[in-house]
Amino acid sequence: MDKTTKNNRPTVIIGAGPAGLTAGYELSKFSENAVILEADHTVGGISRTVSYRGYRFDIGGHRFFSKVPYINELWQEILPEGFLLRPRLSRIHYQGHFFDYPLKVTNALAGLGLVEALLVCFSYSKAKLLPSAEDDNFEQWIANRFGHRLYRIFFKTYTEKVWGMPCHTISADWAAQRIKNLSLREALYNAIFNNGHTRKGKLITSLIEQFHYPRLGPGMMWENCKTVLARKNSPTVFGERVTGIRHKSGFVECISSQNQAGEKTQYDGSNYVSSMSLKELILGLDPPPPDQVLQAAKSLRYRDYLTVVLVVNRENIFPDNWIYVHTPEVKLGRVQNYKNWSPEMVPDSCKTALGLEYFLWEQDEEWRWPDERLIETGIRECAQIGLIQPEEVEDGTVVRMKKAYPVYDQNYHRSLQIIRQYLARFTNLQTIGRNGLHRYNNQDHSMLTGVYAARNIMGEKHDLWSVNTEKEYHENGILQGETQSGGDRLVPVGGPPESSSLPVSALESTNAAGRQQILEEAFALLDPLALGLAVGLVCGFGLFLAGVLLLLKGGETVGPNLSLLRHFLPGFTVSWPGVFLGFVEAGVGGFVLGNIAARLRNGLMFAYAGIVRRRAEAEENPDILDKI
Amino acid sequence: MPILQESQAIPKNIVRIQAGIWGFVLAAFSGLMLFAMTAWLLIKGGQSVGEHLSLLGNYFPGYSVSWSGSFVGMFYGMLIGGIAGWAIGLIYNKVVDWRIRGK
Repeated sequence: MDKTTKNNRPTVIIGAGPAGLTAGYELSKFSENAVILEADHTVGGISRTVSYRGYRFDIGGHRFFSKVPYINELWQEILPEGFLLRPRLSRIHYQGHFFDYPLKVTNALAGLGLVEALLVCFSYSKAKLLPSAEDDNFEQWIANRFGHRLYRIFFKTYTEKVWGMPCHTISADWAAQRIKNLSLREALYNAIFNNGHTRKGKLITSLIEQFHYPRLGPGMMWENCKTVLARKNSPTVFGERVTGIRHKSGFVECISSQNQAGEKTQYDGSNYVSSMSLKELILGLDPPPPDQVLQAAKSLRYRDYLTVVLVVNRENIFPDNWIYVHTPEVKLGRVQNYKNWSPEMVPDSCKTALGLEYFLWEQDEEWRWPDERLIETGIRECAQIGLIQPEEVEDGTVVRMKKAYPVYDQNYHRSLQIIRQYLARFTNLQTIGRNGLHRYNNQDHSMLTGVYAARNIMGEKHDLWSVNTEKEYHENGILQGETQSGGDRLVPVGGPPESSSLPVSALESTNAAGRQQILEEAFALLDPLALGLAVGLVCGFGLFLAGVLLLLKGGETVGPNLSLLRHFLPGFTVSWPGVFLGFVEAGVGGFVLGNIAARLRNGLMFAYAGIVRRRAEAEENPDILDKI
Repeated sequence: MPILQESQAIPKNIVRIQAGIWGFVLAAFSGLMLFAMTAWLLIKGGQSVGEHLSLLGNYFPGYSVSWSGSFVGMFYGMLIGGIAGWAIGLIYNKVVDWRIRGK
């Protein structure tokens, strides 16, 4: 840390979600004060826990697992004794059947019925034998791996419910970030040195089977974090909606906010960290940015989320933590059973609270429906798919969450580039979190952006926009100075903490070069022409020599047995012209054999590489739906 | 993942054959093959054992379809196989070098 911000003014953080609170928490480790402004009246952002008559529920389910070691440490640090280790069970509801998720072949085929199962097998085989050369949108990616039929059954409707757009229009960026295609080289390296399995693959699989969860929901953690911060003189101010960001010459001077009573307050800070949506941030700048930037901000879209909570008078409804509802006849996207996340989420163990999740646009008619109508719809749809009887429902409530998901449409990337370029001029403003970066981050990645923002204030240089773009960058423990593996975009601008920067980078380059060399040697191609010529020449010369030896030896009938080769080599005899002809013919035969052998070997190697890659991808992505 | 993409992602290096190793492998293979073929005919037995295989004696002095001949055959098989393997490796590498220089 080569810079401190010791002055009278705190850092102003906009938003008390995971990113904002983590930024404040990280700053507090350096004895830096912050003030956190929250437009709402509760902490946690989309990771909050809402309480309704003692029933607690999430805005979506938030499993606590991260491949970033530092984030795992932070969780334990903020909430040292509040975590439960919970088993994970989730299924897909489709056309009256429940299918295990992650998918299991026998269960899936049994649920589909004989005819559909056969069609699925045909479709799957076709995808394996004749995959599409295109692999760059969600529909193609899934269809290439599972076949079109399985894609239509298990992926299409749910994805379209969540995102409100056809799967083939979901940007390739989405697939790159959420699905995370593996590097073939990494997969091959693991196949050679790790007996075909990735260390991470095993870790991921085990994390999918169970997960950590605060006993009173994720809000418990953020409430705790808020309390810790308040003790360290970094208060959270609720009900403060940021309305203006005054700036001059690339420097934010102050932020103005307004509470629900309409009272305005001005906050002067040394640094500003914003997790509010980029759209609102840009539109709130004073003076406004150039028109192009304004238009870019206006074009950013967000998917909104609404959950209908039903209190059901039944002890056990289903054993799952959540159920994906693929059935197209209902608008319901997912059903959460909070009691199965933590038994303490319900005040009465004889009852169950279900969260019916709907993914909408703010402009949708349903978004504006009164709560009673939404609850009625929820009860009807829940009964329609056979989960409950309407008369079992005792109570219900509705929670709406605007801007829950940043949308990756066809224009977002260009707009984001423009905004990013413009924001780069600010020396004391950073944007973090899911909406601050317009990136579909999970809680852990959002927290990581908060950590990096705080460290940037303390003089380090981290590129916040690279979080969750290249998984290796963060997941291999850069914050702890562990070794990372390969990738051009993996090194943060300016390098990691000084204590580990030199040895790590030296080791990285050695490892990368070593891996590259190993792969190049293991998977180098045989040159079919060269092998053909080599085998051809040796065969031709061998036959020529055999003939010549017999001719030199002489005798009454020279080489009667060798001459039998004429059945295969037309015109061949053990004679001087015959041996020259034999040289040519055996040479051609040898050339063909050598050439075919080289091509076969190269083809088998590609096939092997494909198998390795698919196996590694399956290991890496056994939970694709969770990432949608 | 279509094969096309695998072929694009795999390093495009052309393998160089280690002529000595190819020679050794082919030597071991041909020596053992000739030994096994001779031994098989001997075990099988019959009136005229290895009538055709013994014609190799034209090229390999001392070779016959007999137990002692099988060891002689193994020696010659190794010798010829070793030379052939080494020659294939050598020629292959020369052609590859020549082709790369040509590019």
